[in-house]
Amino acid sequence: MRVLDYEIPDKLYYSKEHEWVRIEGTEAVVGITDYAQKQLHEIVYVEVQKVGDNIEQLQTMGAVESVKSVSDIFAPVSGKITKINEELAESPELLNEDPYCRGWLARINLKDFNKDLRKLMTAQQYAEYIKGMED
Amino acid sequence: MNKPLKKTHLYEFHKQTAKMTEFAGFEMPIWYKGIIPEHMAVRNGVGMFDITHMGRALITGGKSEAFLNYVTTNDVAALAPLSAHYSNMCNEQGGIKDDFVLSRLEEEKFLIVYNAGNRTKDYEWLVRNAKPFNVKVEDISDNIAMFAVQGPNAQKALQKIADFDLNRIERFKCGWTKLAGVEGFVSRTGYTGEDGFEVFVWNAPLTNPINAVKVWKAILEAGKEFGIEPCGLGARDTLRLEAGMCLYGNDIDETTTPLEAGLGFVVKLKKDAFIGKEALTKQKAEGIKRKRVGLIMLEKGIPRPHYEVWKNSEKIGHVTSGTFSPVLERGIAMAYVSVQHATEGNKVTVKVRDKLTEAQIVRFPFYDPAKYGWGRQK
Repeated sequence: MRVLDYEIPDKLYYSKEHEWVRIEGTEAVVGITDYAQKQLHEIVYVEVQKVGDNIEQLQTMGAVESVKSVSDIFAPVSGKITKINEELAESPELLNEDPYCRGWLARINLKDFNKDLRKLMTAQQYAEYIKGMED
Repeated sequence: MNKPLKKTHLYEFHKQTAKMTEFAGFEMPIWYKGIIPEHMAVRNGVGMFDITHMGRALITGGKSEAFLNYVTTNDVAALAPLSAHYSNMCNEQGGIKDDFVLSRLEEEKFLIVYNAGNRTKDYEWLVRNAKPFNVKVEDISDNIAMFAVQGPNAQKALQKIADFDLNRIERFKCGWTKLAGVEGFVSRTGYTGEDGFEVFVWNAPLTNPINAVKVWKAILEAGKEFGIEPCGLGARDTLRLEAGMCLYGNDIDETTTPLEAGLGFVVKLKKDAFIGKEALTKQKAEGIKRKRVGLIMLEKGIPRPHYEVWKNSEKIGHVTSGTFSPVLERGIAMAYVSVQHATEGNKVTVKVRDKLTEAQIVRFPFYDPAKYGWGRQK
C-alpha cells in the first residue's frame, strides 16, 4: 500500500525504528523502510555487522550514513547473520533507490520469530504509525 | 510553549519545494533536490541560498571606525568604502564571540553581517561596547532579504538582472545596483569557496515579501541557462566545510581563539587596544597548544562532531565538523588536535562508532584549488 508519500509493502513486518522484515522459511531478510530512506535522504555509506554475528532484536546491528547525519540500524529480529548485501559497499544509494528489494541489508537465521513478532507491526499497523508521526 | 519559528520572505517558495528544518529560530530549507546535486550545482555552475536568517546591523557615526577597531580583531582602518573583510569579535579572554563579514558602505557607515544564532548576543555586545564611542548601532535584520548567489557562473546569472557592471566589483568589494528593478546591494563574498555574490534586497521588511520574492524569482529565471539550483542549509554546510570555513558553534566559539582556529590572519595585534588583544598577544607569545586542522578519511566512514582523534595510543583531539564531501566522495572533517601532531600529512585515526578509522591531516581547502573554488584556473 501507499500511505502519504511512502510505499509500505503488504506482506512485510515493520519495526518502530523503521526496519522491515520479510520471512523466507527459517530466515528473515531485513532492510530499512521507504519512510526511513526518505527521512535520511542521500545515503552515502552503510555498515552492517559481519556474517556469523548474533544479533538481538532492538539492538544496534549497523549504521546508515547520509550526507547530513548518521543513524543506527536496530535489528528488527533476533538471530544469526547468514548473509549481508555486499552490493551496498559500492552502491549505498540502493537504499534510496530500492529500499525493499536491491537495498536489503542482511539475511538472518531466526532464533524465535514468534517472540520477535510481539514487537513488530503489520503493514496496516505501520501505516497508522507513520500517519501518527507525520501529524 | 516553544516560540513560533520565524519565516523569511521566501517561506512559501521553500515550503512548496524544500524539506524544511528549524535553524536558529527560523524555519529554513535544508534541501530542495538534495544536498549533493545542490552542492555540485554551486561547484560547477551556480546555486542560490536564502540567507535572510543571518543577522545584520548598521553602525554609523564619526567614530564608527574607531569603535569597530576596538570591538573587532581585523584592521578596520584598512577597509576602503565599498570594501568588505572577514573578521572576528572576541571576549576579553580572546575567545571568539562571533565571526562575520564587515562592509564599509561609506566613510562613517558600516554593515556587519553575523551568524543567525548570535543575533541577539552580537547586537547586545555591539550596543554595550558602543557607548563610549557615541555611534549608532541599528539592527536591520528584519528589513533586508539576503541571498547568496554562488558558483563559477554566479556573475553571469546575476548580471542579467543587475543594472551595474559586476566586473567592477572585485572579490571582497561591494556596490549598489538595481536587481530586477529593485533597490539592492551586492558584495562579492560568500561561504562556499566559490566566486559569487551576497545580494541584499534593501527595503524588504519581513512583513512585505513582494520585493524579495521578485528578486529571488528573477535570479532563478536568469540562472536557468546556467543550471541554477535553489540550495538549502545542507549544501551550505557541505560547501563551507569543503572550503575549510568555520561554522560558529561547531568549529569556533567563546572557548576557542582565532589563533587556535587558524584565523590569525584576521587578528591585527599591531593595532591599538581591542577587546581580547592582551589575551591574544600573550597566547601568540607563548604558543598555542591545539590547532584546527582538516582531516580526510583514508578509509570508509564519515567523521562527525565530537568523534575522538587518536595518534598511536594517545587521544590528541576531537572532530568539530564532519561530513561526506561530494567533490572528494569521502569523509572530511575539521578537528582540534594538539599542536605537536597538527602537521600536514600526519596520519591519525578517528574513532567512528568504536572503530579507529584512518585519516590524514590535510590543508584547507579540501578540494584542489586549481579545479574548484574562486581561484580556479579558467
